[in-house]
Amino acid sequence: MRMKSALAAAAVIALAAGCGSGGSGGGQAEPGEPVKLTFLSLAWQKESLAANKQLVEEWNKANAGIQVTYVQGSWDNVNDQLVTQFAGGTAPDVIHNDSPALSGFAADGYLLDLSGRLPADLKADIPRPAWDTVTFGDGKGGQGVYGVPFLQESQVVIANRKLLDASGVRLPTPDNPWTWDEFAEAARKMTKDGVFGVAWPMKSPVNKTLNLALNFGGTFFRTAGGRTTVKVGPEEKQVLQRIHDQLYKDRSADPAALGQGTADPLPAFYKGEFAMLPAGVYLRQQVAEQAPDGFEWVTLPPLKGTTTQQGAVSQTLSIARDSKHPDEAMKFIAFFLNGPNQARLAKGDWLLPTSVKAASDPAITTKENGWDVATASAKDLVVAPFLRVNGFDEWKSKVATPVLQEFYSNKISIDEAARRLVADGDKVLERYQR
Amino acid sequence: MWVLMLPALVPVALFSVGPLLYGIGLAFTDARNARDHETSFVGLENLVQLLADDDFWSSFRIGMIWGVSVTVLQFLAALGLALLLNQDLRLRNVARVLAVVPWAMPPVVIGLMWKLVYHPDAGILNGLLGTDVNWLADFSLALPAIIVVGVWTGMPQTTVVLLAGLQGIPRELYEAGEVDGACRWRRFWSITLPQLRPVIVAITSLDFVWNVNQFGLVYVLTQGGPGGRTRLPMLFAYEEAFRYRYAGYASMLGLAMAVVVLAVLGLCLWRQMRETAR
Repeated sequence: MRMKSALAAAAVIALAAGCGSGGSGGGQAEPGEPVKLTFLSLAWQKESLAANKQLVEEWNKANAGIQVTYVQGSWDNVNDQLVTQFAGGTAPDVIHNDSPALSGFAADGYLLDLSGRLPADLKADIPRPAWDTVTFGDGKGGQGVYGVPFLQESQVVIANRKLLDASGVRLPTPDNPWTWDEFAEAARKMTKDGVFGVAWPMKSPVNKTLNLALNFGGTFFRTAGGRTTVKVGPEEKQVLQRIHDQLYKDRSADPAALGQGTADPLPAFYKGEFAMLPAGVYLRQQVAEQAPDGFEWVTLPPLKGTTTQQGAVSQTLSIARDSKHPDEAMKFIAFFLNGPNQARLAKGDWLLPTSVKAASDPAITTKENGWDVATASAKDLVVAPFLRVNGFDEWKSKVATPVLQEFYSNKISIDEAARRLVADGDKVLERYQR
Repeated sequence: MWVLMLPALVPVALFSVGPLLYGIGLAFTDARNARDHETSFVGLENLVQLLADDDFWSSFRIGMIWGVSVTVLQFLAALGLALLLNQDLRLRNVARVLAVVPWAMPPVVIGLMWKLVYHPDAGILNGLLGTDVNWLADFSLALPAIIVVGVWTGMPQTTVVLLAGLQGIPRELYEAGEVDGACRWRRFWSITLPQLRPVIVAITSLDFVWNVNQFGLVYVLTQGGPGGRTRLPMLFAYEEAFRYRYAGYASMLGLAMAVVVLAVLGLCLWRQMRETAR
């Protein structure tokens, strides 16, 4: 009896040990055996999924020595998933994510600093402002590059062609875009007979508002003497007030769309219930695919405040610091994100490539589906100021999202909104600066 | 003797007591889910911070509103259903089986199903009422909306337990009541309820614990939104640990909730024991 229970105990311990060591990536490769990498991809649009999987397949065919396994992830919960996988030592080698998420993981030491590893041609093909979106502190006073940026999003305006022409307003071009005043005026003109000029879907209002706020130089954060605080002054209030005016003063914005997510108002857009929808360039994909026959639409360039600058974040590929094969992972990334391949990925996701070579690809500079306007808007992208703010994610979900939602639904005044963004916000940021 | 118990004890110690003690230990450190972070002992700092955290108190309040209202409504609805199913109805057995069906569904599936019911455009509810309400995104409607789902989810087990209790009440008591000329209501009030009392106390306190610790259902339905109006304490703890990576703080939060729940339970059970002892 004693023997049996001792055996049982031994079995349990062996089991536990087995669980603990079943770590990432399959361990050191035997000589002659291929190195195995896992690649967590967050692609979700149909064309983009196909492009991602095809690139992995092409790589595997050409590189018998480095075999990549495609793992599907989702934007909804990727950061929760990564926190657990990093802590448990089972993270994938190559990780698809976006730059706002990288700063936290970098500061916590989970991502590999790529600055010394980037191949020269990859580094040269992607311009400086894009690299700025992935350069963060390493949590120990230094700086590092924690991902390769490859897809970016700008905010454009998608418009119903017929309603636009009928209103007789001037058509904006990338060289001569609408100012916010002209935009408001155009929306007012298009508002008649139960049709609204514009729709602002503001279920997730924070990134949209902050990226557009840069039009008037609104940064929302200020860093002085090593401390970051929230700032809501006249520059920041511009975009807030202008959107609010369209909703409640001009009444040129469709109130039904306010609580919706970005893609939710599309059915009403096709029916002609409103004329213009400010949205990220990727939304063109759904319009192009789903719009009923005969529905004509155009992509209008980004609006101009004092400048046309918008805050940019990037989709990125990073390497886990605990990956056993960082060199091989870097080679895979360099292949995956070279000029021609970035053009394929950009086309698949209807976003803007960071690669200079990809940006000149005829497939994404054509007039069709507004690609010319979308690609031209890349010049307005600058690194979003909130990217470097440690604790931004908590500020966003605990403070900014509820405050902006309440403000846009006219429950609180702009001064009350500003007060709470700053006072409650600074309390949250405090925690990250101890 | 202890050797015989070992095979049963080892898994309990390894998978239940161990992690529990580890979690309690974490609550007194500044542990973070970070690779380069040196964890150190901070004593009661997390507790001090927790008590001063407005977000925690609003989450705690929401948790209590949710826990109490779901438990009470669940009990009332389940008692009604159990009394009905205890009658001599036709197709009684079919009805009993149907009443238990929600029990067979995992919370995530229930969440997805109700999400479709509440869907602003394609939802059955808006279709039935002819309204255009975004139930789960409305600041004042979201909490009541998920409470309804919570009640629906928890009803079956409460009903089954109460039904079992009802069937354990001796028939003679009712016959004696009838002979003494007690009306229906009087019989319910003076026979059924006192006889059911131990069952009611047991199932209600269990329900309360389950409901306060509810996570999956609400996570699927609203993820704590809009603007934190449905952020139950367990969702709050999850966000602290896995989103903002303050594992120590989240453990303290879990510990505090456990203490609160144990206190409520202890009070109920202590009163029950005192009653029976008298």
